Amino acid sequence: MKRVQFEHSAVPYLFIAPQILIISIFFLWPAAQALYQSFLLEDAFGLSSQFVWFRNFEDVLSSSSWTRSAIFTVVFSVLVSVLSIAISLFLAVRADEVIRGAKSYKTLLMWGYAVAPPVAGLLGNMMFNPLMGDLYMAFNSFGFEFNHIQNANDAAFVVILIAVWKQVSVNFIFFLSGLQGIPKSVQEAATLDCKSPERRFWTITFPLLAPTTFFLLVINLTYAFFETFGIIDVSTKGAPGGSTATLVYKVYVDGFLGADMGGSAAQSVLLMIMVSVLTVFQFRFIERKVHY
Amino acid sequence: MATVTLNQAQKTYTNGFKAIHGIDLKIEDGEFTVLVGPSGCGKSTLLRMIAGLESITDGEISIDDKVVNKVAPADRDIAMVFQNYALYPHMNNYDNMAYGLKNRGYSKAEIDTKVREAARILQLEDHLDRKPRQLSGGQRQRVAMGRAIVRQPKVFLFDEPLSNLDAKLRVDMRLEIKNLQQRLGITSVYVTHDQVEAMTLADRLIVMNGGVAEQIGTPIDIYEKPASQFVAGFIGSPAMNFLKGKVSDDKKHVTVGDGVMLDLDHDIEAGRDVTVGIRPEHLELLKDGEGRINAGVRMVESLGAETLAYLDFGANADNVTLRLQGTHQFKKGEKLSLSVPVDKIHLFDIESGKRL
Repeated sequence: MKRVQFEHSAVPYLFIAPQILIISIFFLWPAAQALYQSFLLEDAFGLSSQFVWFRNFEDVLSSSSWTRSAIFTVVFSVLVSVLSIAISLFLAVRADEVIRGAKSYKTLLMWGYAVAPPVAGLLGNMMFNPLMGDLYMAFNSFGFEFNHIQNANDAAFVVILIAVWKQVSVNFIFFLSGLQGIPKSVQEAATLDCKSPERRFWTITFPLLAPTTFFLLVINLTYAFFETFGIIDVSTKGAPGGSTATLVYKVYVDGFLGADMGGSAAQSVLLMIMVSVLTVFQFRFIERKVHY
Repeated sequence: MATVTLNQAQKTYTNGFKAIHGIDLKIEDGEFTVLVGPSGCGKSTLLRMIAGLESITDGEISIDDKVVNKVAPADRDIAMVFQNYALYPHMNNYDNMAYGLKNRGYSKAEIDTKVREAARILQLEDHLDRKPRQLSGGQRQRVAMGRAIVRQPKVFLFDEPLSNLDAKLRVDMRLEIKNLQQRLGITSVYVTHDQVEAMTLADRLIVMNGGVAEQIGTPIDIYEKPASQFVAGFIGSPAMNFLKGKVSDDKKHVTVGDGVMLDLDHDIEAGRDVTVGIRPEHLELLKDGEGRINAGVRMVESLGAETLAYLDFGANADNVTLRLQGTHQFKKGEKLSLSVPVDKIHLFDIESGKRL
């Protein structure tokens, strides 16, 4: 077969130029900067710097605070993703069954989508305020000695709760449209073949939602890694003692507040490597099990 | 092996729309019953009520003398073939057929025997490992049939199973379904809007209109003695010709068009206004002037084996369709002279449309 040959012209390049420009300015250039800086040691005022090869990386990897943050990030991301996917799937399945007033339910469940992460953090802050927070009061009145300002687990609970709440609405929208994409006759055929609704869900509905779930897993892990920055910064600020600082938040704290540019840059390079590995892993091993 | 009994079965939707107005019906063991009617007549709703996919709001449906109104679809021991196949896209064809058996606790060996047997009958043995989307429409419909027959249910339900197939495949599958049903002897209910399918498949035909069973009978009975003008117009292709008529004073004739007298063999009061029905295939073409019905040709369709002529009859230019064997050459505007045997004239009440 003969290939269609187009005349070469500058027009296509012109079309992709804005995107290339944006990627270059906001991603490639900063990434290169970070990579370069991760090899430098700077004094606190940024007046002089020295090329130190991999010392920043050695420092970061051997520091207990980075390891702790890495572990927290992994636990946090997995919990946020799994919980928000599970909860939203449950809500979507329920909402899909509703016939009367379906629209109002759906609108109410989607509402959270309009809330920006820092606003979600602010809401969480208010609800967990030790002086007037409703949830803070409620937990303590039930006899839990809940104190997210001093207790690391309680603080983690707060950020996870806010992050999950914020993400549920996004996932809900995707799951709901996924559910509505399953042909009704397939579900009806299943009701003739299988009596138990639970079994039907796990053998028919869930496998057919697998592409949606996989997509949401990728989106949610990215969200938990990066976008929760706003929530953490407004609610706990990584307190107590950096126990709720994700790697991204720690990059910011060490670099911009601690003025350790080299160390911060090394951390972001490590983060970049981790995310790349995660992405490859996701597409390699999980997507294979997904039926499209 | 089962009978299905409908006792004043009714369906009223929550918005007040009455889809099924009380249907009484007994489907005998091994009988092939076809529900036919225009879209929106309630035929699919009735089928889905038997399947349990729609609730029965009044009356009773029984399978083998057991009332199934409150029985879950999976417990009714029925199998259904859907219009768009409704196969499980994530399972291969083997698992599609095995799914219902697995959920009913059959052993692996039993399932394997049954699925392979069904695959052999339906010539699907080479496709068991494939996914439904890798098959053609006809093969998918076979898998859907396989999914139904592996369970050896009491009743087969078919919801327009052939309407997604192309014309040639439809004829093949129609024969195959008839064959399979006769071989397995399973009581079947089949929904279609295609009257050829209805006539060829049915042991008994139920013509539905507006949620009511207009007529129940063998296909030939319905063709020869349609109970109403609706049934007469729906069964038979091209549709029956209807003309306004008046019974003559001597009751021996009926007047149609501009005073054309047709012989009558009905016991009916004189002077009554009626609708006269004549099937296109019952009009006979005579030489000029010999027939009582004279009509001008408006359009001709030649199908090779037969010719359809659309004619204008009388002063009002009523449409009359003529169906003739073989090929005929007619010119536009040519006058044809026709007659009709006395026993092929149907009379219907003008108001109710009931057969007289």
